[in-house]
This record gives sequence, C-alpha cells and structure tokens, in this order.
Amino acid sequence: MAKYVLTRVRQSLITLFLVSIVVFAGIRALPGDPALALAGEERSPEALAAIRSEYGLDDNIVIQYGRFIGHALQGDLGTSSRTGLPVADAIGEALPVTLELAALALLLAVVLGIGAGVVAAVRRGKPAEWIANALALLGLSIPTFWLGIVLVLAFAIAVPVFAASGYVPFGTDPVDNLRRMVLPAIVLGSGLAAVVMRQTRAAMLDSLSADYVRTARAKGLSRREVVGGHALRNSLVTVVTVLGLQLGHLISGAVVTEQIFVLPGFGKLTIDAVFTRDYATLQGVVLVTSFAYIFINLLVDVAYSVIDPRIRLGGAR
Amino acid sequence: MSLTAGCGSLQSSATEVGGERMTDDRPVRDGGTLTVALNADPDKLDPTLAQTLVGRTVFAGMCEKLYDTDADGRIVPQLATARPEVSADGRTVTFDVRKDATFSDGSKLDADAVVTSLLRHRDLAGSARATELAPLKSARATGPYSVKLTLKQAYVPLTAVLADRAGMVMSPAALKKYGKNFTNHPSCVGPFKFAERVGGDRIVLTKDAHYYDADAVHLDKVVYKPIPDGSVRLANLRSGDVQVGDQMGPVDVKSALTDGKLQLFNSPSLGYQGIGINVGNVKGLGAKPGTIDSPLARDVRVREAFDLAIDRDLINKVVFQGMYEPACGPVSPESAIAPGARASQCPKRDVAAARKLLKQAGVKTPVRIELKTSTTPEWSRIGQVVQAMAKGAGFDVTLRPTEYATMLEETDAGQYQAFNSGWSGRLDPDGNIASFLQTRGAMNAYGYSDKKVDALIARGRTESDTGERAKIYDELARRVNDAHALIYLYRQKNYVVAGKDVAGLRVYGDGLIRVKDAGYAK
Repeated sequence: MAKYVLTRVRQSLITLFLVSIVVFAGIRALPGDPALALAGEERSPEALAAIRSEYGLDDNIVIQYGRFIGHALQGDLGTSSRTGLPVADAIGEALPVTLELAALALLLAVVLGIGAGVVAAVRRGKPAEWIANALALLGLSIPTFWLGIVLVLAFAIAVPVFAASGYVPFGTDPVDNLRRMVLPAIVLGSGLAAVVMRQTRAAMLDSLSADYVRTARAKGLSRREVVGGHALRNSLVTVVTVLGLQLGHLISGAVVTEQIFVLPGFGKLTIDAVFTRDYATLQGVVLVTSFAYIFINLLVDVAYSVIDPRIRLGGAR
Repeated sequence: MSLTAGCGSLQSSATEVGGERMTDDRPVRDGGTLTVALNADPDKLDPTLAQTLVGRTVFAGMCEKLYDTDADGRIVPQLATARPEVSADGRTVTFDVRKDATFSDGSKLDADAVVTSLLRHRDLAGSARATELAPLKSARATGPYSVKLTLKQAYVPLTAVLADRAGMVMSPAALKKYGKNFTNHPSCVGPFKFAERVGGDRIVLTKDAHYYDADAVHLDKVVYKPIPDGSVRLANLRSGDVQVGDQMGPVDVKSALTDGKLQLFNSPSLGYQGIGINVGNVKGLGAKPGTIDSPLARDVRVREAFDLAIDRDLINKVVFQGMYEPACGPVSPESAIAPGARASQCPKRDVAAARKLLKQAGVKTPVRIELKTSTTPEWSRIGQVVQAMAKGAGFDVTLRPTEYATMLEETDAGQYQAFNSGWSGRLDPDGNIASFLQTRGAMNAYGYSDKKVDALIARGRTESDTGERAKIYDELARRVNDAHALIYLYRQKNYVVAGKDVAGLRVYGDGLIRVKDAGYAK
C-alpha cells in the first residue's frame, strides 16, 4: 500500500512540475499586455515602462519562469500587480470559501444523488423513479446563472430566508455562514447531484441483477441487507470514480456560482485576474488548483484501492 | 444644472429619470454601516499608482484632495483654503492648506506633506499621475501651511488636476513607513479611514476620529463590495444586502424603479463614448503617424458619410432606453469650464447626404469596415445598431467583439480599422482632449495629427481667460469633428441606486459617490 501511494505521489509531483511550465507559458500566450491592462485609462509610455520593469515583465520568459518557480518553492507566489496584495494571502482568503462551497455542494450531491439513485433503482418503473429521473434531468439542464438568480429572487428577496451575497467565515458566525452558503451550494451541487443520481441508479440496477445479489436474496437476507450491504457497496466504486471526475467540474462550476453570489472564492479571484492580466495571481491560482486536482485524483485512486483491494494489488505488481 | 433634493417617490419613473438628482438632504441619524456595491474591484489604494475609475469612489471616502468639485461642476477648495493664486505669467501657483487637518495615522497635515505628496505623484516610478503633473517644475513649502508651485509653463488645467487623485495628500509618516506598500496601509485626510481589504471581496473604511469635520460624519463604517454583474448588484439592493449600487445600467435602473424601497440618484457624466477610426496609427501609440490605404482612413468624406449614417438618438433609445445623452464632442455640455455641444445640437442622421459623399469620394460600395467592440452586452447592441444604420448608407460593417485587455493592445498598436473608444471624463476640457487628439498623444490610438489642433491644445492649456478658453475649445471641437477620426456617440449618466432608508448621499458629475454626509434617515 505504502509503495503504491509513494509511486502515485512521485507521478503527481512530476505532473505538477509540467503543469507549472504549461501554466506559465499559457498565461503569457494570452493576447493583451498586462501593463496596458493595468494602466487602463491612465496609460503613458513612461507609466507602462515603469509597470513592466516593476513586475519583471520586460525580462526573458525563462528568467521570469525561474524567478516564479524559485519563489513558489519557498511559498512566495508573488504580489498581485492589480491590488498590490500578496497572492498567497489572496489565495489563503479565497481557498476556504471555495472549499466550503465545494464541500457543501458535494455533500448535497452525495446525499441527494445517492439517495435518489438508490430509490430510482429499487423502485424501478414506479412513480418514484420517474420523479427522480425528471429531477435529474432538470438538475442537468438548468443553467447555473439562471438557477442562481431565481433562487435569490425566491429565497433572498421574496421570502428572505437566505442572504443574496457575501461570505462570513463559519468560525465567525456559523448561522450567518450557512444563511449565505446554502443557496450557492444548491446551485453548484444540483448538476452533480443529477450526475450522481444517474450513475448510482445505473450501477445499482447492474448490481441488483447480478448473481451475488440473487445469491444473497436466496440466502434469505433482508431487503435492507441486500440493497445496502451488497448492491450499494459494490455500486459505490463507480459512484466514487464519477465523483472524483466531477470534482473538477465542481471547482470550475464555482467560478459562475461565486460570481452570482459574490463569494470571494477562487472563481472570482481567477476571473478578476484573467481580465486584468494579473499574471502573478493567475499563476498562483492555476498552480494551486492544479495541485488540488492532482491531489484529489491521488485521493480517489487511494480510495479505490481501499474499497476494492484488487486495484491496489494490480497497481503494485 | 438643476439640483433636486429630497426623496421624491420613485414610482414616477419618467420625471425621476428625466431630471437630475445628485443630493439627498434628509436628516440623518448617527451610526450604522453602509455597504456600497461597486461594478469592479478597485486596483491599488495608492493615489499615486491608482488607475481605475472605481477606485476613485473608494478614495472619495478616505482621501480628500486639495480641491474638489461641487454639484455644479465648479472647482472648490477642500484641503486647500482657497482657489490658488496664479502669477501673471502663469508659472507660479501658490495656495494655503487647512491648519486643522490630521491624517488618519494621527500626523498633522501641513505644507511639507503637500509637497511630499505632489513630488511623489510626479516622480514615483509607475505613477499614473506623472503625465498630468509633468508641467510641475518644483514644489516647496513657503510657510508651515503655504505651498508654492513653479511650473515649466503656464498650465491652466492644474487646479482641475488637483481636484482629482493628483491632489490627494498622503501622510508622509505612512509613506516613509510603508513605501510602495502604502497601498495596503493608505493614510490620508478623510471622513473615513482604511480598516481592511479582502481582495475581490471588500474594502472596509471606518469613521476617522482625527477628521477635522468628524462631527458631521454619521456612519460608523462604509464597506465597498465589488459586484461586477448589474443584475446581481440589483438583486443585492433589493434583498438589502447592499444599500448603494454604483454605476447601474439603464435596464437595471428601470427595474429598480419598480421597487418602492429603492431610490435613484443621477448626474450627467463628463466622459464620452464613441467610435475611434484609425486614420494614421501605423506604428503604434506615440510613433509618427503614417498613411493607411483604406477609404475610411484616406478620405475624410467617407468618414463623414459614416458619421452621417449614424442616428445618435436611436442608439440612445434602442440600447439605453433613452436614459443616456447623445453626444457629438469631447467636452460635456455640463462642464463648468467651456461647456461643449448639447445633445440637441448634434448632427441628425442623413442617409442621402452620406450616399452623396461616398459618391463624391468615388469609393466602391459597400465600404467595408471592421468595428472592434467591447464584449459587453451594451456594445454588442450598439455594434448591431450601427451595422444596420450604416448599411443603408453604403457601408458593410463587420463586428469583432474583443476582450478589453486585448483591444487595448491591438488598438494601441494600430491593428484595427474602427473601435469603441470611451473616456470617463475630466473636469477640465484639456483632460478630455489633449492625450487623445494631440499628435503622438499618450492615448491617440487614432494616429490623428493636425498642427492647428496641436496649437489650440497648447493655447487652451495656457490661456487663463475663461471666455477665451471657451472659444479655443469651441474651435478645437469643431475642427476635431470635421476630421471625423473620433465619432462621439453618447455620454453615460452616473446612475446610483440606493435603499430609501439611506440619506445624505451625494453623486456629482465626476460620478463619485460621496459618503461623508450619508447615513440612515431619521
């Protein structure tokens, strides 16, 4: 097990290094001069030259990369050219917001998705399945922005149960935090819940018709033991895979959700950085996001091997 | 300029939108936090380095200037005690500063602080104020509260420049302590002082007990929140999560007027929006203008025909629901110094004349034009309207929506035929003209060059007689319009929506929300 994990960690580090090069070069391939974007209305040749010199934009790209990676390895992600605030601080403030949002959305997706998926599979052909399928279709089809605005109109303006925007850390005021996070979590989690529901249903249908379930039934196990202990446990491997793959979408979906609910998370930070060509912030954000992706993939792989030891053994041989 | 005070019902949308409403003088109770939604996250909170329009609104809460503008667009003293005294040759400017002002860090405002700030604005690497303070040769304190400025040449726009960020005075103690990191610890004289900033989320200011007029300040705290999307800004206003919404678009204003809990402030802006045409920018900004071999660049008659094909009133009606003002010159008619043409004086659409001009020019029709537009919904619609109108006169306009930073790079480099060119506006006409229309001007992306215009710009800067100045800018505007290198289309209005329980707000022609007197209505 330890050897397997070590191999995966090594692979992840190499990927991260390659990602850093791609990110660095990719951002610089974007059209639009950051000095111009920064100077905006007040651009004069002298001001542009001073901005380029201050942020090292006039250096060779290799030198710029060396400086960036050297500082990054020491935990220094540079200073935002737009706000003058340290990028690490901005990320440190934005990360918990997005993580909380993603965690709540994931929780919602897992509880609703798996629950509805199991019900749909067990109640195949009955109204419960139709309802679950219809809800899943809705969850997949409704545009995030529209759903967000509708929820705000309904639950923050017409019936003001939740807040329309803003973020308060959970530690500062848990009730206010949830009041502000529930709607964004629903918006972000609804699509994933639909995907999880469909996967769970399909996997459960496979499992329920498998020989081992028939055997379990023949042995006289209760319905709950058959569905929960045998069919669901085996179906979860597929569901966990899908969840792992969809986590990426969760983070990217957060970009739109954070715009609607004005949450100061990663998405908002990224959008602002793209439009102002704030290289330092953009690099920092993409690097940390890549790290998160790679780390989540690592976790999913390890989770696989825990759920199904055959995968671990296969990988270790 | 009319001034409507009070809190009239906003249900009568026609009268409210038609008129101007810049102040609200209802009595205000002490205490409370006001959350202001901005349409973007400000950049650096350092008056020397700051570049965004939205940042000026935050500065309005915490950094007073030597001069300010009033509701009538006139320049009035703020940290200075009176308008500056200018020598006969215009090269020496003297003024006194308040004796009772203290910076938010507790240090005293004096002439030395003013000199330190002005020289920093002029000299700091990357200063966004360097160009406007370039004529400043030296600054020195002639007494504890008296300042003497020596200029390289007479520079009439100086007072207006000092009524913007170049006139903001920073605490020398804070500058010494933080240097370039002043942006994270700004300290000025103002009703509120900087408390914290969370990038992309909020900037918090708290009431400054050191402020010379602290008794007149009612709010405990002002929070500025960037909310770029107009409909999200409006939803937050309606839910009460924010109390003031800045830079609201016409569609959202119309929608806000249906909500009895909201009120509207509006003031005419000093800026403009238009279509810039590349008439000579072949080697990039600041380079010598060259020749471009296209009908639009080569022949002024083709550009005039394009101008005549456009109906400014229709753009205002279709795209902005009639809530902005058609424009046909660089200077706003609301400008207190040398006001420009009124919307009613703008040329009307004349397709027959446009066709005739194209025929005279002997160009093959349709004349193809690629118009770069911002990726905003407004400019997408303007582009479509212009496309349809120009077609009737013999033009084939292709739209190329281009994201802001890319557009700046391409248009500055001269890689375009026509693009949407706008400016937020300055108090002095020179601020709306010189950089754009002077040969090799810092923002002359059009490659426009006219010796007569250059001479008029230079005269306008040195002429102290207001009547003469007005004549100069009138002639200048006419000459520039005749060249049709920059076709002015409309002027935005500064629409600010606030909760009805908020009183004491002020929104003047510079578009800034002044919160000094604001608070919750008694």
